[in-house]
Amino acid sequence: MPKKRTQVADIDRSMYDFRYDDSDEEKLQAGLTPDIVREISAKKDEPEWMLEHRLKSLEIYNSMPVSDWGPSIKGLDMDNIVTYVKPNTDQKSDWDNVPENIKDTFERLGIPQAERSYLAGVGAQYDSELVYHSMQDSAAKMGIVYSGIEEALHGEYADLIHEKFMTLITPRDHKFAALHGAVWSGGSFVYVPKGTKLDYPLQSYFRLNAKGAGQFEHTLIIVEDDADLHFIEGCSAPKYNVANLHAGAVELFVGKNAHLRYSTIENWSKNMYNLNTKRAIVDEGGSVEWVSGSFGSHVGYLYPMSILNGRKARCSFTGITFAGQGQNLDTGCKVVMNAPETSTSIETKSISKSGGVSTFRSSVVATPKAEGSAASVSCQSLMLDDKSRSDTIPAMDIRCKNVDVGHEATIGRIGDDKVFYLMSRGIPEEAARTMIVNGFADPVSKELPLEYAVEMNNLIKLEMEGAIG
Amino acid sequence: MDAKTIQHVNAMPAPTWHRLHMNDTDVEIPAGLSVVHEVTTEIPAALAGAPDAFDAALAAEQVEWEKTHPEKTPEQRAEEERLRTEEEKTTYGGTAYSRYQIGADAIEEARSLARAFETGMGADAYAWMREVAGDPIVIAAPAGEPQEVAVRVAAVPDAVNVAAIDVVAAPNAEVTVVLSVDSPREGTGVTGTSLRVFAGTGARVHVVRTQTDDATFIDMDDAGLFTAENAFIDVRQTVLGGAKAYTGLAGDIRGTASRIDIDTRYLGHHEQQRDFNYTLRHHGEKTLCNITANGVLSGTSKKTYRGTIDLVRGCKGAVGQETETVLLADDGVVNQTVPVILCNEDDVVGNHGATIGHVRPEQMFYLASRGLSQEAAENMFVRAIMEQAAIDAPDEPSRDGVMRLGSHLLDNFEGFLDEEEA
Repeated sequence: MPKKRTQVADIDRSMYDFRYDDSDEEKLQAGLTPDIVREISAKKDEPEWMLEHRLKSLEIYNSMPVSDWGPSIKGLDMDNIVTYVKPNTDQKSDWDNVPENIKDTFERLGIPQAERSYLAGVGAQYDSELVYHSMQDSAAKMGIVYSGIEEALHGEYADLIHEKFMTLITPRDHKFAALHGAVWSGGSFVYVPKGTKLDYPLQSYFRLNAKGAGQFEHTLIIVEDDADLHFIEGCSAPKYNVANLHAGAVELFVGKNAHLRYSTIENWSKNMYNLNTKRAIVDEGGSVEWVSGSFGSHVGYLYPMSILNGRKARCSFTGITFAGQGQNLDTGCKVVMNAPETSTSIETKSISKSGGVSTFRSSVVATPKAEGSAASVSCQSLMLDDKSRSDTIPAMDIRCKNVDVGHEATIGRIGDDKVFYLMSRGIPEEAARTMIVNGFADPVSKELPLEYAVEMNNLIKLEMEGAIG
Repeated sequence: MDAKTIQHVNAMPAPTWHRLHMNDTDVEIPAGLSVVHEVTTEIPAALAGAPDAFDAALAAEQVEWEKTHPEKTPEQRAEEERLRTEEEKTTYGGTAYSRYQIGADAIEEARSLARAFETGMGADAYAWMREVAGDPIVIAAPAGEPQEVAVRVAAVPDAVNVAAIDVVAAPNAEVTVVLSVDSPREGTGVTGTSLRVFAGTGARVHVVRTQTDDATFIDMDDAGLFTAENAFIDVRQTVLGGAKAYTGLAGDIRGTASRIDIDTRYLGHHEQQRDFNYTLRHHGEKTLCNITANGVLSGTSKKTYRGTIDLVRGCKGAVGQETETVLLADDGVVNQTVPVILCNEDDVVGNHGATIGHVRPEQMFYLASRGLSQEAAENMFVRAIMEQAAIDAPDEPSRDGVMRLGSHLLDNFEGFLDEEEA
């Protein structure tokens, strides 16, 4: 009798896969032209420099080739993507004033409840615009600024934003960074003053509801010297039979001895092309921690980058990627150690099932300035069947002598020896296999706040049955 | 001959960001070189093979392989098509495979051992090297007593001197192939070996290549290996010299329970460049591979190492291991490493590890407490790799090459073998 294989359920998407009619939303025509870019800029009443930036970015976009090393994006036709969809509301600071359908969306996603329970502030973006932004008074009294970035562009931080905007992620970085520069809309601005430590996280949630649309939010966070912040980002979308696109950008500036934790649970629908770019620059003694869960999207290109630019700057990246049927998720991270005695720790897990493709891709660069630096990279991939694919492509470029760089990676299925060990301790086989798979994801879930760890475990929802063949 | 640039040499199968400049390299052949064939061989007459021995062995293996790997039935193809169509409907157009993933699947679909066969430096480099090398040296090793052969390439000033070698080991044969590449005369030029190895069922092939060119020569080491059932090929490459040394090796680990081991030792010094590309593809069940690379980089040398273990669908029970250790002995060195695992099968194990760095401060402190300066300690690393190469040299001519190069690089190098014997 053939042995049964482990059955791992597809991610239960029912809580994300609902939609509302978008006919009352204001949409620009699909495609990408200078006129569309001008129209987006005009709607936002932006300063002249921003319009110039957008038009220059569009030129760069048109001049750059599509990458040839990652998942195919042939199914993404920019002529069919609507780059700007304005919900039928302005930004509110009270949930009661948000239109019913949008409020219902975020309530079903648990955002207001999360705000009440454990967040210091929330921003909620619906399609191309923020619809809700709020922060607790206690945080505001500490001098922390958490607002929509477009709102901030017209306020007292306008010059600071002008100074920092798209300097870490320039439009020349890659084709979709240029696209972002041309059509970005919405997103958050966070400023944490020197010496300020926020005990509770801030969260931005991005919901893309409109069919065939793109979302291009820009998140800019400045954590001044000796300050501390935990920022959480969530995203989801209902599933459509046409391509949707997410090409956001996240720029993080971490000051001397400051600390920033940036956590993401990405759960886009499986018609989404997630071509997001995230980057942090860390000053002396500062640290950035990335915690990343990638579960959704049809195609994903996601590699948060850390530039360690001051002595003893640190970064860590803890990530998990779950690729199921029809998904090709190319994820990982990049680090540049550009100062003495910096340190890097990267730990990633990936799970592939039902024909899904998961690729871990990374680069660790130590420049000649990185004397005394250390980096450790660990990557583990779990194959749950023989239809799937899991690739590991880590690159290391070391240009100074006194460094210590270690890398290790393993790929395989659940080891029979591990199951046997647990069974010899009296644990039934099915329970043993469940324990092993759950334990595989544990290093990531333990880095998340409890509520998000629960969400992540719900997302994975492993159902074990019988023995592995 | 005119100057020539061979592009996309040593390309790794699954590329990464172009910005890193690691995906492949170009080989620049300078203008004004003549083509010579100054290759000496030590091959017993009984081992001389027919010119087409390698291709014939691969064609014969194709017939045997097809017996155990029948083509899909029309029903199986119809079912695959049904599943694919269903997936395209339920997912957004099916999985968006990358270019290299599509290319890899196409090669498997073709079911041709000849098409799947490759060498590490790539098709363009292979074609050029075979052209300048002229007729290949063909070694056909029969079953019976272990055999040993040697092919020696001496660098010729102002010339390209490349040897093409095909090795066909009959079932249960055992043969050691010694390749030595040296530059006894001063000058500039190109040396190289283009090697193909077919290891028949149960055969054992040992390849030992030692390269000791002076820093004015370019060396090209291109190899492609094939293993039938239970066959074993081990390759030891020692790369000590040459302004630029390119090493490419690809292996098709095809037969059940067959194995390929690679042991690479290298030294980069002054402004030298080392460029390695290993691609080992597990096709057969219960196949094994081990890649071990150890090196020292000093001066302002630069090294790029690409190592790919490809666990192809169907290679159930396969285990691939890869380890690289690099010691950086000087400021100004550049080390690039990309250890890749591609995996299309679940019942496998793939591991790789890399350690890159200098001697730990506590170890350096220990050496300093024994009166050894940092500079002296770093010189010891270079000396150690040269001495080990001399000790492990497969024969006297190879050892002579190591000693010749070592005496150019290091003070009082000549005497160490006497000390060893004493």
